[in-house]
Amino acid sequence: MPGQLLFSSSSKQGSSCFVTNRSVMVDKCVGKSVPRKEGWEKVTGAALYVDDIVKPDMLHGATIRSTISRGKIDRITFEGDIPWDEFVIVTADDIPGENSTKMFVGEQPVLAKERVNHPEEPIVLIAHADPYLVRKARTQVKISYIEETPCLSIEDSLNKAPVVWGEDNLFKTIRINKGDVDAAQSEAEIIVEGEYFTGASEQLYIENNGMIGEYDAEEGVTVTGSMQCPYYVHPALCAVFNLPKNKVRVIQSDTGGGFGGKEDYPTIIAAHACLLAMKAGKPVKLIYDREEDMVATTKRHPSRTIIRSGHKKDGTLVFMDVDFALDGGAYMTLSPVVLSRGSIHAAGPYRCPNVKILGRAVATNYPPHGAYRGFGNPQSFFALERHMEKAAKQCGLTADEFRRRNFFREGDLTATQQVVQDRVDMRELLDQALEAADYHNKRERFKKENEGNPVKKGMGIAAFFHGSGFTGGGEQKMASIAGVEGTKDGKVRVLAASTEIGQGAKTIFSQIVADALKLPYDMIEVARPDTDDVPNSGPTVASRTCMVVGKLIQTASLALKQSLVQEGGLDEDYTPEQFAQACKDYVARNGKLRRYSQYEQPANIVWSDETYVGDAYGAYGWAIYVAEVSFDTRTYEARVNDFVALQEVGKVIHPIMAEGQVQGGVAQGIGYALYENIVWKNGRMMNGQMTNYIMPTAADLPVIRVLFAEQPYASGPQGAKGVGELPIDGPAPAIINAIEDATGVSVNQIPATPEILMKEMEAAGVC
Amino acid sequence: MKPFSLTQPKDADAAIQAHAKLPDAQFIGGGTNLLDLMKYGVMEPKSLVDLQDLSFHEIGPGSDGGLRLGAGVTNAETAEHPKVKKDYPLLSQAILSGASPQLRNMATNGGNLLQRTRCYYFYDCATACNKRRPGSGCAALKGFNRIHAILGASEHCIATHPSDMCVALVALDAVVKVRGPEGEREIAVEEFHRLPGENPEKDTVLKESELILSIELPSSNFSKHSHYLKVRDRESYAFALVSVAAALQLSGGRIVDSRVALGGVAHKPWRARAAEDFLKNKECDRDLFLEAGKLVVKDARGYGHNDFKLELAPRAVAEALLQAWKGQES
Repeated sequence: MPGQLLFSSSSKQGSSCFVTNRSVMVDKCVGKSVPRKEGWEKVTGAALYVDDIVKPDMLHGATIRSTISRGKIDRITFEGDIPWDEFVIVTADDIPGENSTKMFVGEQPVLAKERVNHPEEPIVLIAHADPYLVRKARTQVKISYIEETPCLSIEDSLNKAPVVWGEDNLFKTIRINKGDVDAAQSEAEIIVEGEYFTGASEQLYIENNGMIGEYDAEEGVTVTGSMQCPYYVHPALCAVFNLPKNKVRVIQSDTGGGFGGKEDYPTIIAAHACLLAMKAGKPVKLIYDREEDMVATTKRHPSRTIIRSGHKKDGTLVFMDVDFALDGGAYMTLSPVVLSRGSIHAAGPYRCPNVKILGRAVATNYPPHGAYRGFGNPQSFFALERHMEKAAKQCGLTADEFRRRNFFREGDLTATQQVVQDRVDMRELLDQALEAADYHNKRERFKKENEGNPVKKGMGIAAFFHGSGFTGGGEQKMASIAGVEGTKDGKVRVLAASTEIGQGAKTIFSQIVADALKLPYDMIEVARPDTDDVPNSGPTVASRTCMVVGKLIQTASLALKQSLVQEGGLDEDYTPEQFAQACKDYVARNGKLRRYSQYEQPANIVWSDETYVGDAYGAYGWAIYVAEVSFDTRTYEARVNDFVALQEVGKVIHPIMAEGQVQGGVAQGIGYALYENIVWKNGRMMNGQMTNYIMPTAADLPVIRVLFAEQPYASGPQGAKGVGELPIDGPAPAIINAIEDATGVSVNQIPATPEILMKEMEAAGVC
Repeated sequence: MKPFSLTQPKDADAAIQAHAKLPDAQFIGGGTNLLDLMKYGVMEPKSLVDLQDLSFHEIGPGSDGGLRLGAGVTNAETAEHPKVKKDYPLLSQAILSGASPQLRNMATNGGNLLQRTRCYYFYDCATACNKRRPGSGCAALKGFNRIHAILGASEHCIATHPSDMCVALVALDAVVKVRGPEGEREIAVEEFHRLPGENPEKDTVLKESELILSIELPSSNFSKHSHYLKVRDRESYAFALVSVAAALQLSGGRIVDSRVALGGVAHKPWRARAAEDFLKNKECDRDLFLEAGKLVVKDARGYGHNDFKLELAPRAVAEALLQAWKGQES
């Protein structure tokens, strides 16, 4: 890799993508921090979130949920001083079609009918015009149960104690085999073993979940709300209401964050709002308050990973044997794909001839765990990068030297036997990150300063990579379509179901189209994701929006231009004004001008879902993160003082937003590592408030120094890969490695709250 | 929010009369706590008596060289007042460790004294809470009780008082001046808040329609050696897990007099008199401070999630005393 670093900083200013004079030249837009497309609406309050939207005669809905983790529903009674005859009440019996969310095997009901399998499972829906009465009434729906023994841990689930799903509690098992781990045992001179745990965590998007459902006997159902994936909601509603595709319409309202938390659960809320609307004959708004959103919707899968690795005396890896288990909660939902990503990355960016990975997602009676930024990788990288720290120690090497000796080189094979083609040298990235963090000098200094000081400081490293886009053949199966439209006003409008959820989708799409068509940024618009208007460009997940969908709209843009040149008489060497006029003329003459592009797998990508061998991802992002942490031996508080995040994500489309993505990911990662602890009682979350589920504030965060090394990726738009998820994979192990550096104590569980650290430190006799 | 009436009296007597006359009335100062409680449905007063037009928005000299803090003065103004910073740095430090600048700009001194607990269950109307609905039970006893009391709790309530300011006031022997339908009286801040006992719905000893006029700070010998230490889950938007107001009057290294008060451990700011007595006439020393800290938790008990406070409280006391010994300048 050429050692060129782009030091991103907020001082890089604004856009020059505007037409100057009558120049034909339009500055390139990609690579510049242009103003956000939806920024003005958001800062002026003009943006409409679902709770801002009011429909005539609208009712307010609420959801009555199970209070137990597992059992049969015995009786439902409507009590208290409530005018129940004024209420619209919906149960599973009111569902006209399938009682299923249609995720994978589709076993998750929209409303529990005879039994419940987790706390907070929806059972009854109510609606009334008076939201205060609804709030009161929801506490007066009493449900009694015949309770059954729940399964509440990964170990219990693997031991079938008891069986709560299928025959063996296993949602999905993945086996990845490379070389021969059994035969390699004798070659290893040093064996390192470890067990690692990560907890559940909550996405905590700013806007709570919410939907407005509408029903019309002729038109069918329409739902408007906060979501990441309109085309996940759409087929589910078709099934629930037993309606053809053209009788279901899904519209995304402006959405305040998602982080994976609005990937699958909005489907349930959409179905609920529409079921109430159908029975009421009026629009129904269903908004979760913060507590309901926190306790009832999905969280990151807790994990348990056992790693056994064999090394030569010089530290080089001989084999890795990984047993990776995720707690999927009560229904399968997205667990198989979370498991898949986590398993594929479980051996990390390290060359190792013999790798065995056993991945299992198991059923328990917690609310289903689901998508959260990173999608399995934060779990497997916490285990792996803690294990590498342990292995380095056992091999008598420093953390950096040990990694340097084991990193992939160009042409090496990954765990799935994919040839590493990215021209990224992790050793160079490591050197650059360590230099930026002043790693070696600081370690020296801390060693001296820590003597007799109640506050101990340390440095920690994490090395990791993250595949962009869907795993394996996922993109091919999805076969996404995105397009662009030349409008009657002479503008270009992006047509995609990919949602703006605060990550900047609208802006980067506009930048890509502007450059593809040599037009100024202001001439590009982005259509609201509405299934009646935009094609299915796939879900807004998996760091795929820029790399995969961005490429589609780039290709579609060229098709649009070609049509105008060939059929609209546009000169190849056009000015923006000429382009606009050609659009106007074309639309006036022929009607709508829309051009689409559909995903085609690059020929060199080969993958088998059966053997888990092949090209798991078209491209990867690569990163080295370095944390400086101080640990107070009196209060057991750990604090991150400095953080360097260096990554290679291909061409950076928008420097300020990319830097923001990384800073946000690191901030969430700090929360994951040290603060955010979910307290469970019989499968229920007990701390569903922002005062007791502790997310770090700006005051708790260090300066997060973000560095990019750019290595353009041939199949991405202008060389871009994904950046969304990568930044949350590395902070937790870097921070816990730094705590070990500071104290000598090996902590193998997160969140490492002061209580956990107190136990570990006391056990080690440090404090 | 439910409908309520708003009255804006021009003086204290009119405010007291209005409060006594109106149905289900509450005084409102900055509203930083009461409005939240009304939105959550925890408190549903029918009448609000707004105090902003009253003439108690000043800081001025008190009796015997002390300082009078008007009840209507904001927390921000109090913390930044030159006299407070110079003579009562402990109070300034305590106030600034709480809430956020925006909240401190609105919150008043009187309102701070009347802050209600931050027990999660008090705020969650779907759960049992004797403070919110007497007789309904205490969900915190067997619930998530990480922030709850280890001292002076009862089987009816294990909530803690959330204020930082009040912890410093207790350490500084401050007195609250109140006026009610039956006239004026003075109450030591230490006696102002009560332990839950069988009536956790009562936070303070205030009688019906009594209005706080001012906080009287006596002259202080602690301005050189005091420290407010707040241990919390994060640097902002978090109440104290344990906080300590520590103050020393020294002669050389010898302790002539001391004050130790804790927040986050009880239903009221907790004055640790046994620790103060123990420190008297002893030479400053880290181990001595830790021993003093241990005296604080002699009769303490945990309820599960908050057991760590039994260890944290003595360490926090020791650290606060150590910092106080080092002096304000450091």
